[in-house]
Amino acid sequence: MSSGMSELGRFAEPSIAILVSLSDGPKHGYAIMADVEAGTGRPMGPGTLYAALARLEERGLIEALPPVDRRRPYRITAVGATVLTQQLRELSEFAELGLRRLGRASG
Amino acid sequence: MIALLLRLYPARWRARYGDEFAAVLEERPLGPFDVADILLGALDAHLHLRGLGAASEHGRGFAMSLRIGGYAAIGGGVLWLAGLAASSADGSDEASPWLALLLAGTVLLLVALIGLSAFQAREYPRLVWVAFLVPAAGTIVSTVGISGMWLAGDKLWASGPSTWEIWMIGVLALLGGSGLFAIATWLTTSLSRIGTIALGMAAAVMVLTFAGSLSGRIGDEAGFPLFLVGILAFAGGWILLGVSAIRAGRRVVLPAAGAPA
Repeated sequence: MSSGMSELGRFAEPSIAILVSLSDGPKHGYAIMADVEAGTGRPMGPGTLYAALARLEERGLIEALPPVDRRRPYRITAVGATVLTQQLRELSEFAELGLRRLGRASG
Repeated sequence: MIALLLRLYPARWRARYGDEFAAVLEERPLGPFDVADILLGALDAHLHLRGLGAASEHGRGFAMSLRIGGYAAIGGGVLWLAGLAASSADGSDEASPWLALLLAGTVLLLVALIGLSAFQAREYPRLVWVAFLVPAAGTIVSTVGISGMWLAGDKLWASGPSTWEIWMIGVLALLGGSGLFAIATWLTTSLSRIGTIALGMAAAVMVLTFAGSLSGRIGDEAGFPLFLVGILAFAGGWILLGVSAIRAGRRVVLPAAGAPA
């Protein structure tokens, strides 16, 4: 993957899931975990979540908001939205390529 | 149990994320999957913080490109407008000292193009490079024209076009290229939308008005206010893009590196 997500190594996929989760508004850690699990059908562990959150925050793709009690919401930045759009476009093109090839192979 | 798991993370990491991480762990009972994931997370945090020095350099370079481009866009927009207004008010065919302002503004706009294009080129690289090269060529030609006017006034240059005409060719390339730059900026969605619209509108208005004036379809009475709108939108668009670039650069921060140990 390009656009800097490849630098995230094994945290690239959880990072995309987190950015997608934040794309409809700010969420705190547990809400992100629940949303990702509901969206992908796979649980995201708290260790993975915070490793990915730290990397996304370092790169300016998300930003932390003031904490409410002890729960700190995060929101996607404009740069994060741009990177996510690019990632999703690339994934979509890759999926279309695969489906076209499968269609030719079976047809 | 939660306190014990938290102790596995580096102190610097706990200072930044410890409270909220503990709050997440308290939301539900921890299963074996969670505990294994936290152990791996703690190991990763130790390794990641060690490697953060290199990553921070990359982030700083990225933020610096945005900030330099942002400040240059603001300075360039202001000086370009002030220089154009003052030297137009001067009205003399001789060298005007105000052209120095216009020259400085044009050079700063070139710096802004370099800084902001470097930021945007991660996406739509071909469009961004065209959107950089056309106005960059325009600023260079325009700089030659301004320098000629400043040193010798509005005179023919090597029996060819006059220094004013050279400047105008550069300005038109700068305007048209700024329109392309506005399209690239709109697509990357990371800088000011209003600034992008202003810059795109300025390019369209100025180029169409100039073409209309040359063909005689737009007279001086209609042309002057259109040029005025275009010039103001052009300078305003660059200033707004500069402000949003500086803000975006400030968001590229490294909280874990800056957190207390």
